[in-house]
Amino acid sequence: MEKVILIRYSEIHLKGQNRKIFEKIFMQNLKLALGAIPHNLVQIKGRYLLENFDSQDSNKIVEKIKKVFGTHSISVATKVNSDIDAIFNCIQAYLKEKAIAIQTFKIQTNRADKTFPLNSMQISSTLGGMVLKNFKNLSVDVHSPDCLISIDMRENGFTLISYETIAGAGGLPVGSSGKGLLLLSGGIDSPVAGHMIAKRGMEIACIHFHSYPYTNLQARQKVEQLAQLLSTYTGKIKLYIVSVTAIQEQIHKLCPEEMMITILRRFMIGIADKLAKQIGAQTIITGENLGQVASQTIEGITSSNAVTTIPMLRPLIGFDKDEIIARARAIGSFEISILPYEDCCTVFLPRHPLIKPKLSEVERAEKKLDIEQLIQDAFESMEVVEFKL
Amino acid sequence: MQTIYLDNAATTMPDSKATERAMEFIQDKFYNPSAIYRQGILVHTEIDKARRGMLQFLDAERTHNFIFTSCGTESNNQVFQFAVKANKNIVVNLGEHPSVYNTAKNLEQKGYEVRYAKLKSTGEVDIEHLLSLVDDKTTLVSVMHVNNETGAINDIDSIANLVKVKTKKGRCYMHVDGVQAFAKNLYNLHENIDFYTVSAHKIGGLKGVGGTFYKKNIVFAPLLVGGGQEMGLRSGTENVFGNMQFFYAASNRMANIKECWQNLLECKSYMQQHLDKDLFHILYAQNSTPYILTVSAVGLRGEVLLHMLEDEGLLCSTGSACSSNAKYKYSRIIQATELTNTDMEGVLRLSFGYKTTLEECKLATEKLNSCAKKLKAKIL
Repeated sequence: MEKVILIRYSEIHLKGQNRKIFEKIFMQNLKLALGAIPHNLVQIKGRYLLENFDSQDSNKIVEKIKKVFGTHSISVATKVNSDIDAIFNCIQAYLKEKAIAIQTFKIQTNRADKTFPLNSMQISSTLGGMVLKNFKNLSVDVHSPDCLISIDMRENGFTLISYETIAGAGGLPVGSSGKGLLLLSGGIDSPVAGHMIAKRGMEIACIHFHSYPYTNLQARQKVEQLAQLLSTYTGKIKLYIVSVTAIQEQIHKLCPEEMMITILRRFMIGIADKLAKQIGAQTIITGENLGQVASQTIEGITSSNAVTTIPMLRPLIGFDKDEIIARARAIGSFEISILPYEDCCTVFLPRHPLIKPKLSEVERAEKKLDIEQLIQDAFESMEVVEFKL
Repeated sequence: MQTIYLDNAATTMPDSKATERAMEFIQDKFYNPSAIYRQGILVHTEIDKARRGMLQFLDAERTHNFIFTSCGTESNNQVFQFAVKANKNIVVNLGEHPSVYNTAKNLEQKGYEVRYAKLKSTGEVDIEHLLSLVDDKTTLVSVMHVNNETGAINDIDSIANLVKVKTKKGRCYMHVDGVQAFAKNLYNLHENIDFYTVSAHKIGGLKGVGGTFYKKNIVFAPLLVGGGQEMGLRSGTENVFGNMQFFYAASNRMANIKECWQNLLECKSYMQQHLDKDLFHILYAQNSTPYILTVSAVGLRGEVLLHMLEDEGLLCSTGSACSSNAKYKYSRIIQATELTNTDMEGVLRLSFGYKTTLEECKLATEKLNSCAKKLKAKIL
C-alpha cells in the first residue's frame, strides 16, 4: 500500500481559457515549496497527486503545501488497486489502529472509473457492510461520523483512500496576478496586507525604510524575519532596504513639526514609486487602515497618493485593529511584529501630527527640501536581501 | 578601522594567555574528574587547587569555601533559593542586577515577602533605608559590590556589619553580588559576608563560568542535584577547561590589580576632564569604580549616539533604548537614582577592562565629542 498526497486547488476551476496558465504556475509553486524533498508530482483530472516520497516526510510535505496559495485542501491517502478486497484491507488496517478512538463511521465514494461493475453507492454500502461485520463496536452515522472514509476510484485502475481533509491556504497561485511592491514596516499591519494580496495571486516584493542610527539593527532584523515569514507563503521575496535617515533629518530641520509624518510618508511613496517602476511592479501595497493613526486619514492618504501614478492597494482599509491582529496571529506574524524594536525613533515623531493635511500646504512646506536629490540619495543607499523557502 | 571596546562591564575579551594555559584540559587532560583512576584524580586535584587559589585571591581560605557554577546568575539564584523562607522576609535594593532583582521579584510572585531599599542619587544603596527594612524576620540581605550601570561602589563591609548587628536575634544571611568587583577591586572578603558571587567573563574568563564564595559554617544547599560534584553543591560534570581558564585569568588580573586600577583611574579622569562639558554630563562620579564611567549626552538619545559611535568603531552601552514604551525606555537602575528625564535619555556607559589603554580613551573621547556634536547639529 503506497502513501500518496492528494492536492485539490481552489478557484482555478473557475478560469476558462486561462486555466492552463494558472495550473502551470500552481505546479511550479508547489515544486518550489517542496524544494529538496524527494517526490514525484503529477496532475490528474482536477487535482494533483504527489507520489514516491518518504513516508517520514509526509507531515513536512503537508505543512509546506498547506501554505501554497491556490491549495484548497490536502489529503494524505493510500493508493491501492481498484479491487473491493484490496480497498477493504486498507480500511481494516486503518480502523484497527484507530478503533478505540472512534465509534461511528461513514464511507463516501467518488467513482471516476465508470467501467467498475459497482456504482458509487454500491461500493460504499458493500464496504460499509464489510466494516460492520468485522468491527462489532462500530456503527454508521451519515451525518456526523467520527471517521469519514473517502474512496476515490480513479480511471486507470487504482483507488485512493483517505480519512482526513486538511484545509489549504486558498486563493490563487502567486505569480498569476502580476507583481506588487509592499511597504513593509516592523508593525502588525503591513505583513497582513502583503499576505492578503499575495493570496490573490500577486507576486510580492517588499521595501523597508529605516533610519539608522535612529533605529537599530534589531528593528531591521525583525523586518527581515517578517519578509522571511511571508516568503514561506509566496515562495520567494526580495526585500529592498532603504535609509531615510537624511530625509528625516532634513524634514525635522526644515519643515513644520506637525507635518513630519505626512511629508515622510510622501517620500516613502515617492521612493516606492521609483523602485516599482524599476522592478516592474504594477502596484504599491500598504497596510494602511482608515483612521488608525494621524497619517491614515483620507486627507493623509490623498496626500500620499499625490506623489505616485501607480495604483495603490490598501487591503486593510476597512478592518478594525482586532481583525488585523486575528489575521496576523493566523499567519504567524504577530509574535514577530510585537517585538519591542521601533521602526521610527521618537525624535522624529511630532507631538501633535496633522490629522487633516491640505495637499497645497504640504507641497508648500516641502519646497524647502531638495526632493529629487534626497530621493536619489536614499535610492543609492538601497540594499537588497532575498528570501527563499 | 580600529575597534575601541569600552563595554567591558558587559563582557571582556577572553584572556588568551589563560586560555592557552588551560588548553591542556581539553586535550591531554580531558578526563572526568570524578573517575577514580589516576588521570581522573589528577584533574580533580587541579580543580581543587584552583578552588583554593580563588579563596586566596580574596584572603578567604580560613573563613569561606568556593564552588564553581555556570554563571553569576546561577550563583545568585542558588543563594536566594537557599535563603528564602516562608513567613520571613528578604531585603534587596533597586540597583541590583536582573539576576538578583528578578529572582527576588519571582520569589515575591510565589508569595514570599521581599523589601526593596532605595538608591541614593550617587548610585549607592541608601544604607539608612535598607536598615530600616531589616528586622528579626529578615533571612537575607543582598547588596551588590559594584553597580554594573552606575559604577557606584557600595560599602559592603559596613552594610554587612550593620545588618548582622541588627539581626543578632535571627539568622540573616548577607549576600554580595561581586560580579563587577572580583579581581578588579583590591578586596579581602569580610567574615560577615556569607555569600559572594562572581563571574568569569567580566575579567577575561569565558561565558558560562561563575562561582560562589560561601561561609564555611553554612550548610549550603544545591540548586542542581545529581552526581554530587562541587562538594554536592553543584552537580554536573565539571567544566574543567572553563573553571581552570577562569582561575588562570583571575590569577593574571590579581597579579597586577593595583596597576590596572591606577591605569583606569587615569583613563577615567582623562575622559571626565576632556569630554565636552556642553555635550556631556558626568554621572555618578563620586565613589565609583574606575572600571565604569557613566555619562549623559545632554538632550540627545543614548541609543542614537551609540549607533553613531558604533559606526566610528567605538563600542559602548546605553541606559535607554529607542522606544516609545516607557517600560523599555529607561534602565530600571538609572531610574532608581532619580535623574532628570533629559539625563536618562542620553545615558551612555563606558566600561573599561584589563586591556584598556589611555590611548584608546583619548581616541574615544574625541569620537564621543565629535559624534555628539554632529548629532546635536542634526536634530537640535
